[in-house]
Amino acid sequence: MAHSDSTQNSTVYLNGKLVENPHEDTHHVSPVWEFSLVFGALLFLTILTYLVSYAGLGPASLPVAMLIAFIKGSLVVGFFMHLKYEDRFYAFLLCVTILFVSIFFTFVLFDMSTTAELNEEAGIEYKRHVEDSAEAAEAAAARQAAEAAGAAPAPAAAGHH
Amino acid sequence: MSDDSKKSQSGAQSGAQSEAQSEAHKPEPSYLTAQRGLMSWVVTIDHKRIGLMYLTATLFFFLIAGLLAITLRTELFTGQQDFMSAATYNKVFTLHGAIMVFLFIIPSVPAAMGNFVLPLMLGAKDVAFPKLNLLSFYIYCIAAVMLILTLVLGSLDTGWTFYTPYSKTTGTAVIMATMGAFVAGFSSILTGINFVVTTHKMRAPGMTWNRMPLMVWALYATALIQVMATPVLAITLFLLVIERTLSIGIFDPAMGGDPVLYQHFFWFYSHPAVYIMILPGFGIISELITVHSRKHIFGYRAIAMSSVAIAVISFVVWGHHMFVSGQSELAGIVFSFLTFVVAVPTAIKVFSWVATLYGGSIRYTTPMWYALVFLWTFTIGGLTGVYLGTLSIDVHLHDTYFVVAHFHYVMVGGTVVAFLGGLFHWWPKMFGRMYNETLGRISALLVFIGFNTTFMTQFFLGHQGMPRRYYAYLPEYEAMHQVSTIGSWILAVGLFLVLFTLIHAIKYGERASSNPWNAVSLEWHTASPPIEHNFHTTPTVTGSPYDFPEIDKTGKH
Amino acid sequence: MSTKASEHEDRPWFLAHHFDTVGQQVSSAKLGMWLFACTEVLMFSGLFLAYFIIRQLYPEMVLTASEELNKTAGGFNTIVLLTSSFTMALGVRAAQTNNNKALQRNLLITIGCAIAFMIVKYFEYTAKIEHGLLPGEYYSALEHGYMLPKYSRVFYGVYFTMTGLHGVHVLVGIGVLSWIYIRARRREFSSENYVAVENVGIYWHIVDLVWIFLFPLLYLVK
Repeated sequence: MAHSDSTQNSTVYLNGKLVENPHEDTHHVSPVWEFSLVFGALLFLTILTYLVSYAGLGPASLPVAMLIAFIKGSLVVGFFMHLKYEDRFYAFLLCVTILFVSIFFTFVLFDMSTTAELNEEAGIEYKRHVEDSAEAAEAAAARQAAEAAGAAPAPAAAGHH
Repeated sequence: MSDDSKKSQSGAQSGAQSEAQSEAHKPEPSYLTAQRGLMSWVVTIDHKRIGLMYLTATLFFFLIAGLLAITLRTELFTGQQDFMSAATYNKVFTLHGAIMVFLFIIPSVPAAMGNFVLPLMLGAKDVAFPKLNLLSFYIYCIAAVMLILTLVLGSLDTGWTFYTPYSKTTGTAVIMATMGAFVAGFSSILTGINFVVTTHKMRAPGMTWNRMPLMVWALYATALIQVMATPVLAITLFLLVIERTLSIGIFDPAMGGDPVLYQHFFWFYSHPAVYIMILPGFGIISELITVHSRKHIFGYRAIAMSSVAIAVISFVVWGHHMFVSGQSELAGIVFSFLTFVVAVPTAIKVFSWVATLYGGSIRYTTPMWYALVFLWTFTIGGLTGVYLGTLSIDVHLHDTYFVVAHFHYVMVGGTVVAFLGGLFHWWPKMFGRMYNETLGRISALLVFIGFNTTFMTQFFLGHQGMPRRYYAYLPEYEAMHQVSTIGSWILAVGLFLVLFTLIHAIKYGERASSNPWNAVSLEWHTASPPIEHNFHTTPTVTGSPYDFPEIDKTGKH
Repeated sequence: MSTKASEHEDRPWFLAHHFDTVGQQVSSAKLGMWLFACTEVLMFSGLFLAYFIIRQLYPEMVLTASEELNKTAGGFNTIVLLTSSFTMALGVRAAQTNNNKALQRNLLITIGCAIAFMIVKYFEYTAKIEHGLLPGEYYSALEHGYMLPKYSRVFYGVYFTMTGLHGVHVLVGIGVLSWIYIRARRREFSSENYVAVENVGIYWHIVDLVWIFLFPLLYLVK
């Protein structure tokens, strides 16, 4: 159990360069102002998310919201979770994870969006959309009729907040 | 690799000598006898003991699921109903599949054998997180209890895949079974994390990535898949449980969801899981072939990298399970092409093994016999996988016995055969006793004959259109079904002979030396069975794990 | 290995028997935690994918149904979680710099934020349950006067599953943070031995990270 010297005298080379203490990480202490700055940026981006939501960007609002969330996430991961100062391998792991997640998303969403024809043939598309809106319209009509009859249910349709 | 080999002989031998010297000074009790009493096993954090506990548990479930398989085959001896109703047959094959997959094959090689050999091969004192390791074993036990409870709770007849919407409407045991698989997944994730970290951080001095035994590479690639894929299984099964209890409707067409989505979710995990099952088998075979043919492995880097390549590619081929299930045609074509890609790294491995055998001084020991059986059966299993990955052919063969035969050739002919070979190979290390070589060889022969008789016929059955998961069939299939059933009995005899040989070895086998195979990798440089902390002094590695001192080097690449 | 105990005298008390150096132990623990973080990301990714599929199938329904979610509560919770992440990061820094007092303070604030998050969540859930905006079979919004598309039940299914699983993670977070707090009070941590604090921090940031994506998707969809 020669733990210290014999262990560290061993030489490990990475890309032709000598690596000292290959099993260890470095300690890095970030200054408080860095955390505060990141925190400020996160709050700002949260407000921005709100603004984007109300700006009415239409179909662009989802990608923009996701982009903002991604920046926020990167700030949290990079600074709060210290990834910026850690072993590169952790960042690599996270990238691999994101890669697998994107493979998962891409293939499934791709398949789901190309089955539309099959669904139409099988009448699934019809069931999903036409019946759905018909039922909603029916329910609305029934409710209006009920309201007209003076037996309106208590809560307003617009919601509760 | 060539300059490594010159250094290694001296390094490896000096390591062995110093080990022998220190042994002479003070004989230390082995890990089996260092602590005594039941409690010393229950709360042990020694990776070797945990490995043995896993081994016992997985072999137990192998026995149970194997007996279920024999029951199924016996029922299929005639085309009519014999002693099982259709419903019982459904339950039995579901349990056979679920137990085999979740409780035997997935944990067998990584958790049972990997736990034992990984730290030894790396020259470490233990895995990185010994307590987590024990926790993972107990989580596995909980999962086992949950899956067994489904027997009591009533019918589970979905098959091990729990496809929606059927799994939503059938008996209530589905919840318990999915929760069992969910929990088993956690055990798998914990083992995976443990092994990745161990491989990264616990290597002995001098053990660079290119000096790791290929078994370690295979376990590492497996662990990566376990970490990356199992969480998706967890969320899939979680959603299925929610679907059943709250019927949220994501997977249920009646509620507005899409059942094909479930299959996407399920196979995103379960296809990589297939490689969780087979990759460690590859690792074992790499060890067996090189050690027992006394020759440096052919294409070390190619084999190591192909393990990682298989791990990565396994994530982009899951759609080949869904060619006929309402997946879009375009996705089917893409997945079909990607599936072919898996064949490349797999073939690299098979060719490298064969090239290793070429010109080696082969010893026909039992592990070598199993390795040769593996080469035969796995190659058939792998090649028929390419057939099934071909979109047009799969439409014809889907859900027939051809599929059944294919995955049994990979899972049994591949993983289980490798597992058995590995058991014989490391048994002297685990218990310090040699097994009876004659009995071992007979068992390998019986397994080979029995296995091929059982499943080769099923290729023909499937090709003629015999659908899977039926308890009765048309009379024209009867002859081949009977051959298959007889084969399954032979296979069972072979497997019981394995069990007998191994247990007999513990009791009556002659004492094994620390290195009965004259192998070079680190696990053979400590006593058999190893001491509690594996090594007296941290070993230093100076060369490849496959440079055999007295090998015939004429065949070296 | 008791005969070799003399060699172990220079080993710090927190160094486990199977590691050679503190650095090895620390980096092992961190690598393990990062792997776990990756599994968390992958696990939640399944739920996010379910969300995107539902959105692809019923784009109108998701927009209408999400209007019923309480944006103020969601926004408040976002701020609360971001703050807790901030104090957690400061807590790890305090442990790195041997400032045990600041560590305890920051951990307390973090736990406080986590509890505040759960309280807000409780009120949100109660409101949803009262109005019948429930998943699947329990969905009864129509009876409560909400004119929502029929398949809104799937949206609420996704909503409850995602926020529910996230909530479970917050609860677990409260547990591990309290455990770390107790250990901090026992003065177990120092600039040499703080990897447990750091790992709990990584876990807590992952919880925050999931919410960062959940919030705009569920509450602010447009």
